[in-house]
Amino acid sequence: MALVELRGVSKSFRKGEETITPLDNISMDIDAGEFVSLMGPSGTGKSTLLNLVSGIDRPDSGTITVNGTDVTKLTRTQLADWRAANLGYIFQTHNLIPVLTAYENVELPTLLLKLSSAQRRQRVELALEAVGLSDRANHYPRQLSGGQEQRVGIARAIVAHPKVVVADEPTGSLDAETSEQVQVLLQRLNRELNITMLMVTHDSNIASIASKQLILNRGKFLTRSEKAVI
Amino acid sequence: MISYVLKTLWRHRTRTLLTVTGAAVAMFVFCFVGSVQEGLNRLTTGSDADRTLIVFQENRFCPTTSRLPEDYSRKIKEIPGVRDVMPIQVWTNNCRASLDIIVFNGADPNQIQKTRPIKLLAGNWQQFQSQRDAAIVGRNVASRRGLKVGDQFSIGELSVRIAGVFESTVPSEENLIYTSLGFLQYTRGADTAGLVTQHEVMLTEDADPDRVAAAIDAALRSGSVATKTRRKGAFQASTLSDLVDLIGFAHWLGYACVGLVLSLVATTTVMSVQDRIKEYAVLQTIGVRPLTTLRLVLTESTLLCLIGGLSGTLLAMIALSLGGFAIGAEGATIAFRPTLSLAISGSLISIFVGLIAGIAPAMQAATVPIVNALRQP
Repeated sequence: MALVELRGVSKSFRKGEETITPLDNISMDIDAGEFVSLMGPSGTGKSTLLNLVSGIDRPDSGTITVNGTDVTKLTRTQLADWRAANLGYIFQTHNLIPVLTAYENVELPTLLLKLSSAQRRQRVELALEAVGLSDRANHYPRQLSGGQEQRVGIARAIVAHPKVVVADEPTGSLDAETSEQVQVLLQRLNRELNITMLMVTHDSNIASIASKQLILNRGKFLTRSEKAVI
Repeated sequence: MISYVLKTLWRHRTRTLLTVTGAAVAMFVFCFVGSVQEGLNRLTTGSDADRTLIVFQENRFCPTTSRLPEDYSRKIKEIPGVRDVMPIQVWTNNCRASLDIIVFNGADPNQIQKTRPIKLLAGNWQQFQSQRDAAIVGRNVASRRGLKVGDQFSIGELSVRIAGVFESTVPSEENLIYTSLGFLQYTRGADTAGLVTQHEVMLTEDADPDRVAAAIDAALRSGSVATKTRRKGAFQASTLSDLVDLIGFAHWLGYACVGLVLSLVATTTVMSVQDRIKEYAVLQTIGVRPLTTLRLVLTESTLLCLIGGLSGTLLAMIALSLGGFAIGAEGATIAFRPTLSLAISGSLISIFVGLIAGIAPAMQAATVPIVNALRQP
């Protein structure tokens, strides 16, 4: 059984008089330890799909099962608990809490789990070490570069040992060199820590670091032959 | 998570400081208004106000116009239900409402010692009883006028030597100056010899105050001056009737202050939440529950209000304690006193207002669609 299963998922939005359907009866599987990239033109529903898998948005129809839990059936509070235990989210714009240090930002998800303070400290230190920012632990986001901020964001996403990490354009706001560093880091985390990843990007070079590449177009995944045409 | 709230407040220091200051000023005013209200309530209610009668000249209000024969006390004492009578000569520097009214009560020093709930903080009773121009001064007057034992104090045509400074369990007492009856009668001129302003009547346990009051007025109707006898509380409320209306109005000012704090803290919290709506969405994406998000915002608004409210309340308590403020009219004074109940109500109101002010923004932060909030710039 796949770790993440989407079956017949559809999502529509009303935009004025028009109804937009970014996801139309989508089904897909992601196995444990897999690194999946999701590409496609703007407005094709990549981020919508990511948000549905994360449980921060709800589909109009279909089921989304992650690690055996149908997230579409959970209440908002249950979803919050589920995310705290199962999901790591890497934002495009880092979204660190400005009043907290790098250490405190990474520590946040662990405060939601039943851990002793020693266990918490150990996890935060390991996560910061994994992203190479142990020496920046006491710095505030404004004292970090964009790349460092994103690495703190990555540490925050992995610190609770989630089943799945989703990344929404994780290199979208970084320069080429920093983007490269973040790609290497994501690849390493997937390989060394066996973290299952679903990454949205519109850059085919970045998508190539994933073990499986999916392309969304007009609410559907492209078939192998359609991909070849592209 | 409390450290997150504290750091958020610290990060926005200017906004926090302005809100806290506004809340402090409003709660300061609220406590002051409350202390006036409490002072009036103390004066017009309670056992002393209910179980003591004041015999005053009929249709007279200012103490200078009430002139009753001193020997009325003998007749009053004979009426059933009367335990004791104390003839009192009252002199005041101002019959109109004033924040620095000086009221002299002249009475038999032994009776003062026996009947008044006062305790000397400095000086001694013997000097007060033996020296003709000796006076004992309430500590509020002493603190307001900088008086101490041994000082000579003159006001108008009166000049007394301070023989003691007293405190009292009845705050309004602390705004009085006691002298002997004879001193006050004769110093003011021969025309007040044998006359007093009022008779204070102490009742027996089982006496009905209204019935005794009626009996006193009936018994003295045949005398040279007609009287009007009322319970002490009713007498003081009537004496201070102009101020009572004003204080009743000030009561609304107190509510307005609470409304001001509510509006101020609510505005700050709404702005703060709107500025950081994306931050709350990020927290919920990480796994913070909506209810926890709600609590974070409520904690923030309550802390703002509590810090401001406690500061304002504390400052008001200090000012009331050190200032010895009182307002008076026609010889009756309302003392502004810091009280525990006022401090507690100030603190509780701060917490309550903080919670109310935070409800709407807290709901907004907790229920905002996460995806929409994450799209905010």
